[in-house]
Amino acid sequence: MSMLLTKRLARSLWRTKLRLSAVILMVAIGVFAGISFGAYAISVTTLYDDIYADDELGVNLPDVWVENNAGNWNASTSETLCQEIREQWPSDELVLDKCEPRLVSNGQFFSESADNGMVVAVWHGIDEGEVDRVWIPEHDCCSGRMAIAPDEIVIDQHAAEALEIEVGDSVHISAGAGYALDYTVVGIGFHSNHLYFTIENQILPAQPGTFVTGYMTDEGLEALANFSAGESNYLLIDVEGTPDPQNSNASGLTDLEIGIEAIAIEIDNSHLDVYDRTEEFSVEFLRADVEGAEKAYPVITGMLAVVAGITIFLSLQRLIQSQAKEIAVLRTLGVKRMSIMPGYIIAPIFIGVIGCVLGAIPGVFFGAPAMTKVYEGIIGIPIINPTVPSSLVVEVVVTAMVIVFLSGLRPAWQASRMQPLEVLRGQHEIRVSSRGLQKLTAKLPATVGLTIRSSVRKPVRLMFTFLAVGLSMLIFGSMMIMMDSFGEIFLGGVEDRQSWDAKAMTEGDEDAKDAIIEWADENGAEHELMLIFPGKPENDNRKLFACGLENVATETGDSMFLVYLSDGNLPSANQAIPEVLIDEGLNHFLGWEIGETHTLVFGDQTVEIKITGFTQGEMSRTVYFHRADLAEILGIEATVVMLDLPDGIELDNHLAESSFGVTLREDTLDAFETLMEKQQEMFIAIQGLGILVAVAVLFNTLVMNLAERDTELATLRVLGASNNRLGLMLFGEHLGIGLIGGVLGCIFSVLGTKLMLSSFVTWTAYFTVSASNSSIFLLIGIVVFISISLTPFGMWRIKKMNLVEKVKDLSQ
Amino acid sequence: MALVDITNLKRHYKMASGTVRALDGINLKIEEGERILLLGPSGSGKTTLLNCLAALDNPTDGDYDFNGQKVPKGHAEKMTTFRRENIGYVFQFFNLLQDLTVLENILLIQELSDGRDESRARELLALVGLEAEVNRFPAEISGGQQQRVAIARSLAKSPNLLLGDELTGNLDSATSAKVMEVLVSACEAEGITTVMVTHDESLTKYATRVVRLDSGKIISDEKV
Repeated sequence: MSMLLTKRLARSLWRTKLRLSAVILMVAIGVFAGISFGAYAISVTTLYDDIYADDELGVNLPDVWVENNAGNWNASTSETLCQEIREQWPSDELVLDKCEPRLVSNGQFFSESADNGMVVAVWHGIDEGEVDRVWIPEHDCCSGRMAIAPDEIVIDQHAAEALEIEVGDSVHISAGAGYALDYTVVGIGFHSNHLYFTIENQILPAQPGTFVTGYMTDEGLEALANFSAGESNYLLIDVEGTPDPQNSNASGLTDLEIGIEAIAIEIDNSHLDVYDRTEEFSVEFLRADVEGAEKAYPVITGMLAVVAGITIFLSLQRLIQSQAKEIAVLRTLGVKRMSIMPGYIIAPIFIGVIGCVLGAIPGVFFGAPAMTKVYEGIIGIPIINPTVPSSLVVEVVVTAMVIVFLSGLRPAWQASRMQPLEVLRGQHEIRVSSRGLQKLTAKLPATVGLTIRSSVRKPVRLMFTFLAVGLSMLIFGSMMIMMDSFGEIFLGGVEDRQSWDAKAMTEGDEDAKDAIIEWADENGAEHELMLIFPGKPENDNRKLFACGLENVATETGDSMFLVYLSDGNLPSANQAIPEVLIDEGLNHFLGWEIGETHTLVFGDQTVEIKITGFTQGEMSRTVYFHRADLAEILGIEATVVMLDLPDGIELDNHLAESSFGVTLREDTLDAFETLMEKQQEMFIAIQGLGILVAVAVLFNTLVMNLAERDTELATLRVLGASNNRLGLMLFGEHLGIGLIGGVLGCIFSVLGTKLMLSSFVTWTAYFTVSASNSSIFLLIGIVVFISISLTPFGMWRIKKMNLVEKVKDLSQ
Repeated sequence: MALVDITNLKRHYKMASGTVRALDGINLKIEEGERILLLGPSGSGKTTLLNCLAALDNPTDGDYDFNGQKVPKGHAEKMTTFRRENIGYVFQFFNLLQDLTVLENILLIQELSDGRDESRARELLALVGLEAEVNRFPAEISGGQQQRVAIARSLAKSPNLLLGDELTGNLDSATSAKVMEVLVSACEAEGITTVMVTHDESLTKYATRVVRLDSGKIISDEKV
């Protein structure tokens, strides 16, 4: 390898320093993004593992939950259930560690800090506390200890922070018993079921101060809810080790769940639900979030590195083309192929190394901490000891370097393979325009024909440019399309299709339902019953929700809760086989189709249903019944009363104490706004990144196109073509490239986003995305704008052209 | 009135090694219909004079009148307009646009100046003997043919003055002769004045006047 040849190459590259900087910037952005997302994924995974750990510091997260959907077991039944499960343990591979009853109840928290004095709440009565303890880490966020006495409580950190509750405070709370009690706060901490802090059946993190969870002793909750001693509605089953819930068949969890269900139903044939961690919403949602980040960071790094690689590839090809004659002379003078090649291989490596260093340093010191900060803001869990492992940095840098290295191989090979005679005759530059293209554009003015033909003169370059623009627009477009779809994904139509003001929970309790209806009648509020109940498809252990609506409707005014019917027809009530709508997620995962009949399981009951249509917008798997049909099947009238409050009527303590919690529509919408605000900066940063990369890619190609056409443009200038006419030709070319690039970018964005998200959807969290027309036009418009923005640069270049020098070149 | 009237034209370049006097007081009058050959060794100022005639370059000093009008200098767009309206230019290496057919190369220049006139473009191609090649791309025809297309292109907007820079320098002698014959007959047919820069003494037979330069000065000016 000749040092002089390499030096000459370095100088040539330096002459194109603007383009060189753009390529280095792209590599740097790829590495920066990879490290930032990767560090986030690793830190959060470590955090969850620490929280869920089966040790002294962890909470000992259960592996299987048995939930009583029909009420509580008394002390004796709870004992018997655990006893029988122990004795008839249905698994050979998994070993039982603990079986602990747990009492959980919805309720209300009364606070002067809250808007209307009351906040919907969930209370956990913890018996032995060997499984699923409260997590109180040694961190500024948390303090205190677990509740020991019946009048003590630990308040969840999310709520404590929002409502300014501290250890030692007294709190006034209720749990549907018709009265409220005072408890002393002895700790501030987190619980596995509420790490992702959402109100039941909602997807969005609760608006600060609108939801409280508390963890007290079992006696404490029994007193609050007026339950008998030893009552429980959950069994928490922990096995030794941690069987993988994502591979529940292989890990033996599925068989275990089926076995436990069989044992439990023999003792109590009420509506039981047996599930693993994948069905525990907070646990599964956070796992899916981390899995998303884990999957995303190599993709983002790879994608940006590929874009950078394409740009390097094109730049090197252009460089080799401009140096073709020099290479040919060297080859004619006997320089070996292998002496020419190394320089062109070293160049991308050099570019890659600089880009990696420039991306890795801010990635480690700014990107990764910023990502964890954003996460803490959104989810509300402190990341204790965030780390950026050196293995991650190595992985990201190696990925980028490999792609960058590969991008230089072909140009280097091409350089070494140049035929001197061909180059010196100038034949390598002559490219006969396509006859087909000539025919297509023959009827057009020659200026337009030239514009079109010169735009596609280098089809490979153009295709690679479009690919790179498409990929960079995927970064921008996916964010935009997701923002488009977020309302539907997170709100599930609360804003557009639901007109209730408040939802009061009855948990199937007739007295609570009657009290709420009485309250509504007294206050002139309209009410509508709703019945939500967990079930399963037959021979499938995954949980779905049966949702009974008073009137399954799509038209405003027909119901307080409208469905989004994406296909099929609305079901009729009171049919021999109940007619239902299923959400698109069920169609996706189970392949259930309209017109088919299937079987659902509610505890020990099996029910045949007939599907009449699909609905869209549900993140959880949902089957919509007419409430009367579902009530007849389950023997429960309602679990929720939706209230449409007249002006001036506000919720009061009487309603709060009679119900098992009240949620407000306004809080849900506010929560969405808050989430959007919190994510906005990150979205804007990622979108900006995509635009920046697209600008760099287009700039690189269009400047190369211009540089290559210097001779042509100079000829036209000498022959008297005005700057404006040439500018118009450039504008036409840029507009065309922008339009094609924009359309391709749009297709990439829509398909890429769908593909990316389809790999993230799970049974628990299914969503679809769709791009609005305005987003599509915006995506295309941005690429067109970037492209035509480079026309003034091209015109400036033409204007600055030294025609005397150019004429000299033309005569040589 | 002479078509071109140049008085004491100078073009000096300031270089690190001192001032280069590329043109150093040129006086030249060119009448309509003349065919002038500029001859001289390398560095004599031939091409610089041609560039000044084409309003590609700004003279350092002196006057340049064209058809009795001052030729603009120092203003790129005005100089371009002057070129568009008055000058035709033929390059040594043809510089045809490879993406356009022979005919389209001529139509392009028309579109960029007065307007498209396909029959005139075909007429010009017939004039240079290329009526059969109109739909071929430049890469598909010979060097001599390409130069004839370039001549036709330069005539497309009916210039008053046609300039050629070593226009046969890239061709063999037989092809050169053919190209020059085509040029002479075409310019005579169109009534166009020509100024051609060359090293090739054998081309004097195609000229009506030969001007020799050396060190930026005219050293002889003879009618042929």
